[in-house]
Amino acid sequence: MAVTAKRITALVNGFMLQSLFLFLMTLTAAVTSKENELYIIALLVLVLKVVLIPYFLKWIARKIKIEEGLGLYINPILSLLIVIVLSYGAYMFSRNIMGIQNRVETASFAISLSVLLTGLFIMVFRMKALAQVTGLLIMENGLFLAAVELCGNMPFFVEIAIFFDVFVFAVIIGIFVFRINELFAHIDVDKLTTLKG
Amino acid sequence: MEIFAILGITLLLTSVPLFVKGARKTGIINSAGYFIVLAVSLILNYRLLHGRISFSDFFYVDSLSGYFLLLIAVVSFASSLYSIGYIESDVTDKAISEKESRLYYALFNLFAFTMFFCTVVNNLGIMWVFIEMTTLTSAFLVGFYKTQKSIEAAWKYIIICSVGITLALFGIILFYFTVSSNGGIRSLNWTDIMAVAPKLDPKIIKIAFLFILVGYGTKAGIAPMHTWLPDAHSQALTPISALLSGVLLKTALYAILRFTLIMNKSIGPGYTGNLFVFFGLLSLALSAGFIIAQKDIKRLLAYSSIEHMGIIFVGLGIGGPLGLFGALFHMFNHAVTKSLMFFGAGNIVKKYGTHNMRSIHGVTQALPFTGIFVVAGVFALGGSPLFSIFISEMMILIAGFTQGAYASMGIFLFLISIIFGALVYHFNRMAFGRKPEDMQATKEPLGGKLAFIFLAVLVIVFGITMPAFFDKLIKASVDILNGL
Repeated sequence: MAVTAKRITALVNGFMLQSLFLFLMTLTAAVTSKENELYIIALLVLVLKVVLIPYFLKWIARKIKIEEGLGLYINPILSLLIVIVLSYGAYMFSRNIMGIQNRVETASFAISLSVLLTGLFIMVFRMKALAQVTGLLIMENGLFLAAVELCGNMPFFVEIAIFFDVFVFAVIIGIFVFRINELFAHIDVDKLTTLKG
Repeated sequence: MEIFAILGITLLLTSVPLFVKGARKTGIINSAGYFIVLAVSLILNYRLLHGRISFSDFFYVDSLSGYFLLLIAVVSFASSLYSIGYIESDVTDKAISEKESRLYYALFNLFAFTMFFCTVVNNLGIMWVFIEMTTLTSAFLVGFYKTQKSIEAAWKYIIICSVGITLALFGIILFYFTVSSNGGIRSLNWTDIMAVAPKLDPKIIKIAFLFILVGYGTKAGIAPMHTWLPDAHSQALTPISALLSGVLLKTALYAILRFTLIMNKSIGPGYTGNLFVFFGLLSLALSAGFIIAQKDIKRLLAYSSIEHMGIIFVGLGIGGPLGLFGALFHMFNHAVTKSLMFFGAGNIVKKYGTHNMRSIHGVTQALPFTGIFVVAGVFALGGSPLFSIFISEMMILIAGFTQGAYASMGIFLFLISIIFGALVYHFNRMAFGRKPEDMQATKEPLGGKLAFIFLAVLVIVFGITMPAFFDKLIKASVDILNGL
């Protein structure tokens, strides 16, 4: 959904939906493992990634009144095909190269790696600054999935610190999107090419 | 205790701009603070010679981290001295407002705080968070002038480094996966992981290390992930350029070294060594090309940072007592010399109002004080004898040749001589020749002069002799890198 999106709101909605699934997965993991820390983390996912950050991104998009298009280098169908190939690559990588025997671990590793690659794909092949931010947040979701599924969870205070970090990142990057818009009257990252060589 | 003193003072200095009015006064208090930090970090290093310090598993400091901490303290002290005059004249020229100068000092201290924190923390996850924090705090300092160019540089900086660091986090998660499933402990503390290092799955940590090297390598300015570096270094405020180039790159390198130690204990030094030499030589080759064809003075220095990071990586990759000693010593020499050159370049850019080297002539006439230091500094930076960089480059070369790495040492020698020629050519054209007719020679602020003298003394003293205390410090760090 995030890959085929042509408009910023659609992309952000895709991210929101993905974060919602991430929340459900963390909640399931919390219920099965009965670790209190995981409940708190699930709650943080819900508050930050499903509500606050998507709302913030949409608010920026409204505030700077840019036109909705994302500026695609590659059209939606081809993008989808490329991401499917990337996901297959991620699966082969985790099965053959990592040599993980357990099937559940292979699958979850493959999924998180393909989410990571999808985020990277969006960052590279979309022109708008906001799309790059969303791509990075999607990559971060992939990492989070790996942390929850493979390792149970990371040490608690590390998780909290990472959440804090993502939050600060989103705020700061928002400020920079405003500044770019103020100075250049657009947020097309492909036009930021003065500094070279 | 010293750790808390250092972290406490930097945090306290962050709040000084709230109470003190006037850019000059704030700057002086700031420098005094960093002087104390420098003194405390020397005491800390002295104590570390007799053993490691850890505090409730959260803070962990050994000689290696102490050495990096000292590096940060030296460059931040010099940079805070230089800031006094630089920011004051920016406020008088109306380049920035009085309010922005306060913001500058607050961010400067926050940036230094995050770097200090990276070196003293035990938990590799928290270290990751603080390395990302260094990007976020310094991004504002890169985009401080709010011109189109500086905002573009800040955007690229924050996006490229964040992607890099995200990949590094993936590597950390993989490490944690094998630590918890093969090592049987649920912890990201470096000390705990080191204890179970031999049990880790070699296949997984090899892949994890690649992610970490690429991720943190982005922040350390290693080619081909260096693309943010020339933009950010050239657009940042000059005191910040010195901090970015002198110590931020090394902080990322410190994080890589912590993982390297785990790797070496687990599967031996061959794997990481080869990777280091490869990326080091690649950085040297790439920066050589850009240095020859460069027009912008600050970008020239930025590419030279990539070159020196390459040299450090080659030294670390060659390894052995001499190679590691050379690499660690080179970190210090590069930090000191490059800060000196950035300060010189900052004064030149301010005086001539341009970054373009083709329209800068007669620096020794227009800025007599800066001129002398810049001319001496460029020879030091290129690595001519009598200056400290020469010594550390020789150490790495000797280590490489004695180990029989003839091919890579040949390439290394060839590239550093090309870069030496190019640097001297560029600076020769700027330093001498006729200054523009209407330009008056000006007096330079005292703080700036003190910063120049402080750094130049370090460059020259370490070029001629090796103080016994410093020798011990580096040897203790080398022992840690060798896994003793």
